[in-house]
Amino acid sequence: MPDSAPAVSSYRASAATSTPTSARDDADRAALIDRVRSIAAGPLARDAERIDRQGHYPRDILESLGRAGALGAHLDCNGRDFVGAIRAMTEAGRVCGSTAFMMWCHDVCGLYMEQSGNPALIGARLVAHACGATMGGTGMSNPMKTFAGIETMLLRATRVAGGYRVSGTLPWVSHIAKNHYLGAVATVVEGDDVEGEVEGAASRDLMFLLECNAPGVELKHCPTFSAMEGTSTWSVRLTDCLIDHDHVIADPAQPFIGRIRASFILLQTGMGLGVAQGSIDSMWQVEDQLGHVNQFLDDRPDALQAELDDLTARIETLASTPYQSGNAYLIDVLDARVHASELALRAAQSALLHHGARGYLMSAAPQRRVRESHFVAIVTPAVKHLRKEMTRLLTPALPVAA
Amino acid sequence: MSALPSEVFPESGDERPWRKFICRACGFIYDEETGDPDGGLAPGTRYEDIPDDWACPLCGVSKQDFDPYAPPAAGATRSQARSHATALTPRLAPRGRKGVVIVGGGLAGWSVARALRARDPDMPITLIAADSADIYPKPALSLAFGHKKTALDLIASTGPDAAGELAVRLVPHAHAVGIDAQRQRVRTTRGSFEYDALVLAMGARPVAAATLPDDLCWRINALDTWTRLHAALAHGAKRIAVIGAGLVGCELADDLVHAGHAVTVLDPASRPLAAWASPAESQRLLDAWQTLGVRFAGSTTVEAVARSGGSASPLFVGTANLDASHIVIRCAGGATHEADIVIAAIGLATDPRLARSAGLEFDSGIAVDETTLATSVPSIYATGDCVSIHGKPCRFIEPIARQADAIACAIVNQTGEATAHRAPLVRLKTRSSPMTLVGYR
Repeated sequence: MPDSAPAVSSYRASAATSTPTSARDDADRAALIDRVRSIAAGPLARDAERIDRQGHYPRDILESLGRAGALGAHLDCNGRDFVGAIRAMTEAGRVCGSTAFMMWCHDVCGLYMEQSGNPALIGARLVAHACGATMGGTGMSNPMKTFAGIETMLLRATRVAGGYRVSGTLPWVSHIAKNHYLGAVATVVEGDDVEGEVEGAASRDLMFLLECNAPGVELKHCPTFSAMEGTSTWSVRLTDCLIDHDHVIADPAQPFIGRIRASFILLQTGMGLGVAQGSIDSMWQVEDQLGHVNQFLDDRPDALQAELDDLTARIETLASTPYQSGNAYLIDVLDARVHASELALRAAQSALLHHGARGYLMSAAPQRRVRESHFVAIVTPAVKHLRKEMTRLLTPALPVAA
Repeated sequence: MSALPSEVFPESGDERPWRKFICRACGFIYDEETGDPDGGLAPGTRYEDIPDDWACPLCGVSKQDFDPYAPPAAGATRSQARSHATALTPRLAPRGRKGVVIVGGGLAGWSVARALRARDPDMPITLIAADSADIYPKPALSLAFGHKKTALDLIASTGPDAAGELAVRLVPHAHAVGIDAQRQRVRTTRGSFEYDALVLAMGARPVAAATLPDDLCWRINALDTWTRLHAALAHGAKRIAVIGAGLVGCELADDLVHAGHAVTVLDPASRPLAAWASPAESQRLLDAWQTLGVRFAGSTTVEAVARSGGSASPLFVGTANLDASHIVIRCAGGATHEADIVIAAIGLATDPRLARSAGLEFDSGIAVDETTLATSVPSIYATGDCVSIHGKPCRFIEPIARQADAIACAIVNQTGEATAHRAPLVRLKTRSSPMTLVGYR
C-alpha cells in the first residue's frame, strides 16, 4: 500500500509538550464533530459493509479523519481534549464500529508516543501520527492481561549493545500493515536466561514502538473473524528484532502503564457509545412503519437514548481528568467501560428486533451492529476482565507472612 | 479395541502416551495424536518435533507459547462454576416486580432481609454480598482469640443457608460498583440488578493511612481477615503491636493477651479510650492491663512501619535486631517498637464512591432520615455502619434491628413502631475491665 502522506499543515498540531497547551473551546470541538459527521455520512457509510465483511481497510477514510483532527484531539499538544476524541470516535462508530475501533488503536498509539517523552517519538513524528499521515496501532492486549494476572507475557527482550533484542509473537494486532507501527511490551530477560524459564528470571518489562517493516518482524494472516474484517488485523512475529533507544516508550514499563491505564480504557468507550448510538438511530428509522408493533418490544429507542445520554455525561466527566490517579477514579472508568459494552449489546440486539427480517439480511446494518457490539464486549479489556479487575481493586490487600 | 482417551498410545516405537498442549494466547489445543495437517504437522508429531517456525493455526504464536494441557476431570469445572453462582431460590422476581435489592451481606443486610420477609412473604429479595455472606456476630471478632474460637465457631449460619431460609436470592462475592438511580439499577462485578427499592448496608472499611501500609498492618473488620490473622497467630506466642486505643483496639489487645501473646498498644492520646471514657475509667483499664501485662505506649504517634532489614526500611538501620522476620514501628521523637504482628485499629470510614454514583447526600456516611432510614434519593435506604445521622456515623449493633424494621415498614407501606434514633449504649467487652459507655462523642 503506497504511503501517500497528506499535508501535515492542514491540521494545527503544534510541537509536543509535556502539558496541554490549552483546552479546546466548544466551537473548535463542534467544528471537529461536524467534520467527522460529514466523513461518516459520506465515504464511511458507503464503505461500512465492505469494511466489515470484505476486509477492506479504509486507509483513505482514516487519513481524512486524521486531517479532520479526529485522531489527535486527546493529545496534550492539541489541548488534551479527551471529550472531543471520544465524541469523534462515537460519531464514526454510529456508522462503522470497525473504524471507531481503529481510531481508538491510533489514538492510544499517539498517547504512548507523546507520554513517552522520548524526543524521537514526539515532535514531527507525533505530528505526522496525530494527523493520520502515518498509522500506528497497539499490541497491548497481552501485557494488559498479564498485569491483571490473566495471561503471561508473550514477548521477551534481551539487553544488547544499543538497546534490546525482542522475540515472540503477538496474536491479533489491529490497524497495522507493513509500513505501520505499534506499541508493545516485552519482559526483559537477563543475559543467559533467554532460553530458560521466563517466569522468575523476569525482572521488569520494556515498552517500545515496533516498526512493522523492521528486520525480524513478520506479519501473519489471522483466521476469519465474524466481523470487522477490514481492521487489518495480523499476528506479529518478532525474531531477535532490535529495539534501539529511539523506540523505547518506557523502561521500566509498569509505572508508565499505571499512569496511562485509565485514559487507555476511557478512550475505548467511544466505540461502545458509537455502536449503541448507531443502533438507536436505526430503530428510529423504522419507527414510522413498524412503531405499531415495535411498541411491544423491550429497550425502546427513547429509553435507550436516555440511558446512553446519562452514560455519555458520566464518561465526559471522567474524560475531563484522564490522568487522575487513585483506585476510585480507575473503578469509575472500568465501570463506565463495562456499562458502554452492556448498553451496546442491548441496543444492538434491540435494533435487530426492531427491524425484524429486514435487519437480519446479511447486508443490513442492525445485524452488523450485533456483531460489532460483541466485539466491544470482548476486546481487551473485556467485560469479564473489567469485572475481575474491579474486584481486585475493591479487595483490601492483607499482610503476608515474612 | 478402543483405548481410554487419557491413555492413547502411538502405534509403534515411542511408548509414551499422546500429550496435549494449550496455546496461552488463544486457548487452541494442540493434540500430538491428530497433529496440525493444515499447518504441516502430520498426525503423531511430538511437541518437541514441532519446528520453531510453526505457528498456532488460530492466533499465530509459536510453540514456545504453548503449555502442557490436561483436561479437567469430568464435573470438576461445573462444580467450580456452581460455587461462584448465585444461590437459587424459588422466588425469582416476576416480570414487572423487581423487588428489593440489598447491598451488603453483614448483620445489617441480613437484618433487613429478615424484617422484610416477616412483613411480606412474597417480596422478591436479592442480597448482594462482597464476601460469602455467612452470618456471624461481628463484636465476637474482638473476643474470639481468648476464647480459642475458630471461624467455623463464629458462623451462626452460612450465606446459602440463610438465603434458603428467608427465600432470598443471594449473589455472593459480588461488589456493587455503581447505582443508576434513574433506572433503578445497581451495577455489580457480577452483573446488573434492577430494583423497586434498594437498601445499602455495605458497611464501613478500616481507615487507610500511608504510614500504616496494607501489606504490613492487619485491619480487623470482617471474618475473612480475622481468619487470616488467626492463621498467622497459630504458631506460638507473638509480639503484637496494636495501633489505636479506641474500642476495637482495646478489645483486641485484651483478647490477644488472654490468648497468650505479648501486646503493646500505641495511641497518640495519653490514655486509652480517650475519646470514649472518663480519665477514671481509662485508669481502671490501665490498672487491669498492668496485671495482665498489656503495655500501653501513650502520647505516641506512629511515623512509619517497615519490615526490619527490608530494603524499604533505611530508616531502621541501626536498630538492635535486623532479623527480617519482624516489623519495626518508628514513632515521633525517634522511639521504636518491634513486633511480629501489627494491627491497625485507627477507625472506620464509609467509602463514598457508591453513594456518590447515585447522587446520595453524603456526610461522613450516607445521610439518612433517623426514623425511616431513607436516603436523599427516593426508593434508596441505608442502614448499619455505612450511614450517618445528623452528620454522625452510627457503627453499633444495637440500632440495627430497629433500623431494619423501619426500612421494611417503609418499603411494604406498613406502619411500625416509631424509631427515633438515640445514642446507643456500648459495652466495652474487655474481660479485664468491662464497662458500658454511651455510643456517641
